[in-house]
Amino acid sequence: MDLTGALLRAGAARPHVLTVTAPGATVVRLAAEDQLRRRGWPAAMTPAGADILLVAGEAAGLLAEAVEAAWQAMPAPRARAVAARPDEVAAALEAARARLGDRAVQQASAADTASRGDQGQRAPEGHEGGDHGHEHGVGDHGHEMSDEHGHGASGGHGGHGHGHGEHGHGMGGMDMPGGLPMADRGDDRDGLRLDQLHLPLGPVLPDWPAGLVLRVTLQGDVIQHAEPEILGGGSGSFWDEPWRRAADGERVTTAEAARRAAAAYLDSLGRFLAVAGWDAVAAAARRLRDEALAGAPSGPLRRDARRLARRVARSRVLAWLTGGLGVLTAAEAATAGVAGPAVRAAGDVTARYRRWCADLEAAVAVLDDASLLGPGGPGPPRGPAGDDGAPSAGLVAMLPRLLAGAELAGARLIIASLDPDLDQLPAGVEAAHGH
Amino acid sequence: MTTAVFWVLALLAAASGFMVFRFNSMARVTISLMVSFLASGGLLVLLGLGYLGVVVILMMVMEMVIMAVFMIAYMMNPAGLMPMAMFHNKRGSLAIAVVTFALLAAGIFLTPWPHRSGAPPRDATRQLGTALMGSQMLTMITLGFTLLATMVGAVVLATQRGRYDRFGDDLKRRPPSDPVRGGVGR
Amino acid sequence: MVTSAPLWSVLVVPVILAGFAAIAVLADALLAVRAAGRPARLAAAGPVAETARLLVGQRRVTLASDALLWRLGVLTVPAAGMLAALVIPFGTVTASRMSVGVVWFNAMEVLTWAALWMAGWGANAALSLVGGYRYVAQGLAYELPLMLALISAATGAQSLNVADIVAAQSHLWFAVWMPAAFLVYLAGVYGFSFLGPFAYPAGTDLASGVLAEVSGVDRLVIEAGRWLLLAAGAGMAVPLFLGGGTGPLLPPWAWSAIKTLAVLAVLTWARRRLPVLRADRYAELAWVVLIPLSVVQALVPALVDLTR
Repeated sequence: MDLTGALLRAGAARPHVLTVTAPGATVVRLAAEDQLRRRGWPAAMTPAGADILLVAGEAAGLLAEAVEAAWQAMPAPRARAVAARPDEVAAALEAARARLGDRAVQQASAADTASRGDQGQRAPEGHEGGDHGHEHGVGDHGHEMSDEHGHGASGGHGGHGHGHGEHGHGMGGMDMPGGLPMADRGDDRDGLRLDQLHLPLGPVLPDWPAGLVLRVTLQGDVIQHAEPEILGGGSGSFWDEPWRRAADGERVTTAEAARRAAAAYLDSLGRFLAVAGWDAVAAAARRLRDEALAGAPSGPLRRDARRLARRVARSRVLAWLTGGLGVLTAAEAATAGVAGPAVRAAGDVTARYRRWCADLEAAVAVLDDASLLGPGGPGPPRGPAGDDGAPSAGLVAMLPRLLAGAELAGARLIIASLDPDLDQLPAGVEAAHGH
Repeated sequence: MTTAVFWVLALLAAASGFMVFRFNSMARVTISLMVSFLASGGLLVLLGLGYLGVVVILMMVMEMVIMAVFMIAYMMNPAGLMPMAMFHNKRGSLAIAVVTFALLAAGIFLTPWPHRSGAPPRDATRQLGTALMGSQMLTMITLGFTLLATMVGAVVLATQRGRYDRFGDDLKRRPPSDPVRGGVGR
Repeated sequence: MVTSAPLWSVLVVPVILAGFAAIAVLADALLAVRAAGRPARLAAAGPVAETARLLVGQRRVTLASDALLWRLGVLTVPAAGMLAALVIPFGTVTASRMSVGVVWFNAMEVLTWAALWMAGWGANAALSLVGGYRYVAQGLAYELPLMLALISAATGAQSLNVADIVAAQSHLWFAVWMPAAFLVYLAGVYGFSFLGPFAYPAGTDLASGVLAEVSGVDRLVIEAGRWLLLAAGAGMAVPLFLGGGTGPLLPPWAWSAIKTLAVLAVLTWARRRLPVLRADRYAELAWVVLIPLSVVQALVPALVDLTR
């Protein structure tokens, strides 16, 4: 009996899928999440825990290199799927699952990886990681260091190394594995001088804005300095579509806009709750979002959305956990060009997610309103979209100031509570540094 | 059987203690010291001091993990990726160590240990507890307060921010201004 | 009344513990499936497929990892659970009737501190390391109240022997007149199995933290270890606070099993009700509120013993 083959097929019944969302591919991501929920396939959080790598949309440039690095880091058995449009997702997942359960395919793929040998080596962003700006200046150590530009995959995953530690072509005569220099030190908030770790957060990170890379300097788990990098904008956000169409002169009903706004709030809430560690309610929010987008009847949708919004807004534990983080006054938000909930909810993370809950309840209240969308109706979920990428560009620009001195958990919560949508930024804005 | 267990634990304790000075990685150093302590706890259990042995295991695991945190924070080569020596004056320190070990071993084997009169107590833990709460109560009180005062003093000396930084010049600001808010808001 | 079983029972304890852990995993899968709106009959398929997938998966190798510490840390998680379960009586039989059973249980669950720190350190990855350190921070928060809760139960019986604690509850369960200790103990069980509100070391914001770089058999071992620790904690709650195997009609081993399953059910259900409690908020609460509360709680049985 072929035990390995049997286990392979059994394991392929429920693969873990790592979804990488390209800029402009929000609708594909939504379709992918819906498919995964229907099939009961869990979403993987790192390449190490993934079986299928699903690329939603078209990854180009730096994001394509990140996808490649994530693929290299995935242990066998593994399969790759690409879906450029929402209707391709199901077929791509099925095909990947078939390849995953096929022993011959997996053995061929493993042999292929082994034959490429050291070229699969990747340097880690581990605790020996020095500044990325210096590393690739050292020169080629005989294996690919090309993704050492640091955007590789989820922050902090090590290399899928074939024989680690013996590539001691270090610099300055020191025999360091992977040729990495020692970490430099810097002052920290408590008056100590600690090692600094330069870590890129994103673009392949769960519950993270698509297309955002945040290069942080960590001491311990406190962020000393954060610099956002944008991997390409999109042609307008999926969530703002009804308002764009209305501005173009199309006939858009309030109900349609309200439904889209409610789905947007549910998406942001789901992501925020997942980052906060409340997986059960996050899954409920995402399920409601999928139902709203699929056109579920408005009565039950309104009831469930209200219940969810009240549960989240009234949760004292969640408010206790998030109070005081990422305080953003209305004046600061206005000067940064941010409008919408982030301004209306002047304050900390707690105020912002409560604002989302209130806006969600307001949006589902008019789910049956068939009148034309007017200025009194629900507004775009992140505020009125401007030409230069407002308000998400402003949100991203505020990140360095908000995140300095925040711990990693607090930083993730702050970013999730702002939830910038990089599709609002104009296309071709790749590698722009927000200040 | 007991002899076999004794020899295994004793050799493990000595070997892992020795490895503390041979490993390059601070993390491995701490873990091998922890293993040495665990073996010593096991030896205490063999001596019939069950409570003391298990408490040594409990306390040493916690303490070694906390020590690991500080070793990694303060030492320059925590992962051992560069070879380094944990001690200086290799020959002298080795000589001193060997001589001390020989002296102690000689002392242990040559001492005329008294023969046991009477039997071990039925409940060694109870006897220990009675001693601590009875005849040794003064020791316990003194130790307890000294430890507490040392810990509080060390933390106060180590922090850069004092009351006036947290509560303002008039000590009236509530909640206190901290870089990271605590859970109770004190 | 609780007697010691022969030496070979040491091998049976992991099997029984694994059985309870498997039931907890299935119950959790059932809750997950119902929450996702899928039919309940698919619940068992999840854990089975997951186990198969992890058995056949490749183990992850990272650059310059400390493989010794990494594997040792991962292996110690289930080992700690199994060692802690040696003193849990099942009915009237226990694998080890040591006189300091409560302290042994405490010592074995403290091994998880070392285990998870090593598992986080060994991978040489930033998020994994942060996860390992998060476990130490969380440990400092939950450990002292847990120790004081165990001391309360031991003081109530005037003995550290688990058998004596069971015997002392013949009139009234400790959970009834020491409720704070019971609740603190249950929170401690979540703490050392890093599940539910204490899943901070393996949090989503760290892309699963300590679990970020483990794959294949390592992942199976450490995930199984979490549930084994939960089962051991639930199993220990029964003799400590719920009267052990005593009860009418049914034999003692049946009562032990029923009570353990009840505690496991509560723990598995409550796991989804709370968001993850971050240690930077929880630590102050634990030290400033829970420790004084636990000390006062430990005074209650002491005063009762003195006046008796």
